[in-house]
Amino acid sequence: MKKVIEVKSLTKEYKGLRAVDDLSFDVYSGEILGLLGPNGSGKSTTINCLLSLLKFQTGSIQIFGKSMSPTAYEIKKQIGVVFQEVAVFQELTVRENIEYFCGLYIKNKKMRNEYVEEAIQLVGLEEFKKFYPKQLSGGLLRRLNIACGIAHKPKLIFLDEPTVAVDPQSRNHILDGIKRLRNEGATIIYTTHYMEEVEILCDRVIILDKGKIIASGTPDELKELAKIEEKVSVEIEKISTEKLEEMKRFKNVDDVKYIDGILVVTYQKGKNNLIHLIDYLKKENLQYNKIYSERPTLNDVFLELTGKELRD
Amino acid sequence: MFGHNFKCALKTLFKNKVLLFWTFAFPIILGTLFHMAFQDIESNETLDVIDIAIVENESWKENKILSHVFDELEGDLFSITYGSEEEAIALLNDHKISGYLILSDTLKVVVKENGIDQTVLKFVVEEITETEEIMKQIAFRNPMKEESFYQNLYSMIGQIQNENKVELVDISNQNLSYTMIEFYTLIAMTCLYGGMLGLYVVNQNLANQSHNGKRIAVSPTPKWKVILSSALAGYVVQLVGIALLFLYTTFVLHVDYGNDILKVIFLTLMGCFAGLSMGIMIATLFKVSENTKTGIIIAFTMLCCFLSGMMGITMKYLIDKNIPILNLINPASMITDGFYALYYYDTFSRYYFDLMSLFLFSLLMILLSIRSLRRQKYDSI
Ligand SMILES: Nc1ncnc2c1ncn2[C@@H]1O[C@H](COP(=O)(O)OP(=O)(O)OP(=O)(O)O)[C@@H](O)[C@H]1O
Ligand SMILES: [Mg+2]
Repeated sequence: MKKVIEVKSLTKEYKGLRAVDDLSFDVYSGEILGLLGPNGSGKSTTINCLLSLLKFQTGSIQIFGKSMSPTAYEIKKQIGVVFQEVAVFQELTVRENIEYFCGLYIKNKKMRNEYVEEAIQLVGLEEFKKFYPKQLSGGLLRRLNIACGIAHKPKLIFLDEPTVAVDPQSRNHILDGIKRLRNEGATIIYTTHYMEEVEILCDRVIILDKGKIIASGTPDELKELAKIEEKVSVEIEKISTEKLEEMKRFKNVDDVKYIDGILVVTYQKGKNNLIHLIDYLKKENLQYNKIYSERPTLNDVFLELTGKELRD
Repeated sequence: MFGHNFKCALKTLFKNKVLLFWTFAFPIILGTLFHMAFQDIESNETLDVIDIAIVENESWKENKILSHVFDELEGDLFSITYGSEEEAIALLNDHKISGYLILSDTLKVVVKENGIDQTVLKFVVEEITETEEIMKQIAFRNPMKEESFYQNLYSMIGQIQNENKVELVDISNQNLSYTMIEFYTLIAMTCLYGGMLGLYVVNQNLANQSHNGKRIAVSPTPKWKVILSSALAGYVVQLVGIALLFLYTTFVLHVDYGNDILKVIFLTLMGCFAGLSMGIMIATLFKVSENTKTGIIIAFTMLCCFLSGMMGITMKYLIDKNIPILNLINPASMITDGFYALYYYDTFSRYYFDLMSLFLFSLLMILLSIRSLRRQKYDSI
């Protein structure tokens, strides 16, 4: 597959703080690469270095096979960026904002107008064209933010937490739009700390912690790393420590925890784990409310690798 | 790209109500207030005139300036009896006058008791003595038309009357220069406030100053094009604002800016440029919020205008006399003084000096900001 970005040993330090630590990775044409990591893990810093906004101490960055620099206009033409912070002009309407940013890339007026309309459709802001940013809700504003970054049909798109603080409906709209962009041939780098998003969206994931890559691969490959295959949670009023110990000795069980009225049993592998557990609870006459079984999430992977939760 | 960005910058500026208030509305409001204040003074009821005596000795007869000043004040602020010192003392003892003046080396005020009249008298005399001193210096250093000299004198008298809340009589057919100076400082203020426009647009273009700046920085438009077109837009809006102010003060408030329109325009263009470059300097050099930066411009401008006589012409004379160096770093005083020189002097050397100072000030501002304007990559954003 064709490499779109090649990052070699990128290190970025702010005064005394190493935000990105010897990072190397490639991005391939047509994929959605997720950069997953908790707050402060260096996602935004990495993106800003890739875009030549930030100076960095060591490392090399090639985009479309050429070295990236602030004056690499040929490269920049093909890039679209949606920053973590909403960046729009308060004095311009939705349409004017998109038109302005698109105009920094596309000179031809007719073409520009078409692109602007398409972008408005993509993010679903048709009814808000004449609105000013402060008249938009948080979710709509995020959609505008995205439209401003991608209206010029870039081949390579950086999205830095575009869905932060967005309601589920808006979020689905945004995610659908991103998938459409990929289907139209764009390569996408997507940062987030929502693993759900990564799981439904990304072809490949890089997990960052403290500026370092701690794991990478497809979501399924990563889940293998978690060493667990099933996780069963039971809402239960109370349970004795002896019983917890007893359950730990069951077949396939990796760990048993009881926190805040929820019993969590994780299994390394095996079938019918849930049925066995229900039988046991019945036999012991333990009353429970809800019981559900889950596949491990990237959060579990993160927990396994770092010993801490992805989101706090 | 240049045109595209220019258009967008114009649009954002013309839609920014806060900026428009400071650069368009505020000067017009302030101008109107000035105008009303002067009208008010004109229609004020006359206070009782103060009875005084002046000892008409040799020194008094020789001193043209002082006798002129007191002639002007006669009947208006003072009712004056001229005579010998003995006569004056007699009048004072009979309580016919509040005090008398006698000129030897200095102008002395003699009073018997303390009261409002006596205080006013003393204050006015102090004021006049000071003014006389300044007038002499000015006359000595700058060749002026005789007409201008008296214009000046009248203006000082006007000032004195003003400060003593006394009716202001229209001494000549022209506006008093006291009023004129206020309007000159108003123009200076507007020029400098225009810096806010430059500040705002350029701030939006810098990746280390605003989110929009980051977006613009990753686009394939060269940075100089973006900044130059934005600054130009800021300048254009600034000029529109100042044109409105000129129209309003000339046609509605009947302020006279003199006859050399071209020189007036040129000075204004230069003044606006100084304001713009100051705004850009503040935009690039400080890393604080936009509101704080606007605050810095407002505070700095007000200070400059105060020092060039906006809140009282005495300030201008005091600084001209005691710390002239301040005028060399105060852009508001360069602009005010430029207008002043155009109006009062026959020669243009003072005007050109002011123009040159403004140019150097602007150049300094731009030199200060050029390094950060050219920067493309940042240590931290
Ligand atoms: N301008 C700056 N100056 C100094 N330190 C910074 C600066 N920006 C970020 N940092 C530090 O660098 C580290 C990485 O920050 P970065 O913003 O890249 O994280 P992130 O992964 O994007 O986090 P988030 O999910 O909160 O957006 C953090 O520890 C942060 O405190
Ligand atoms: Mg971030």
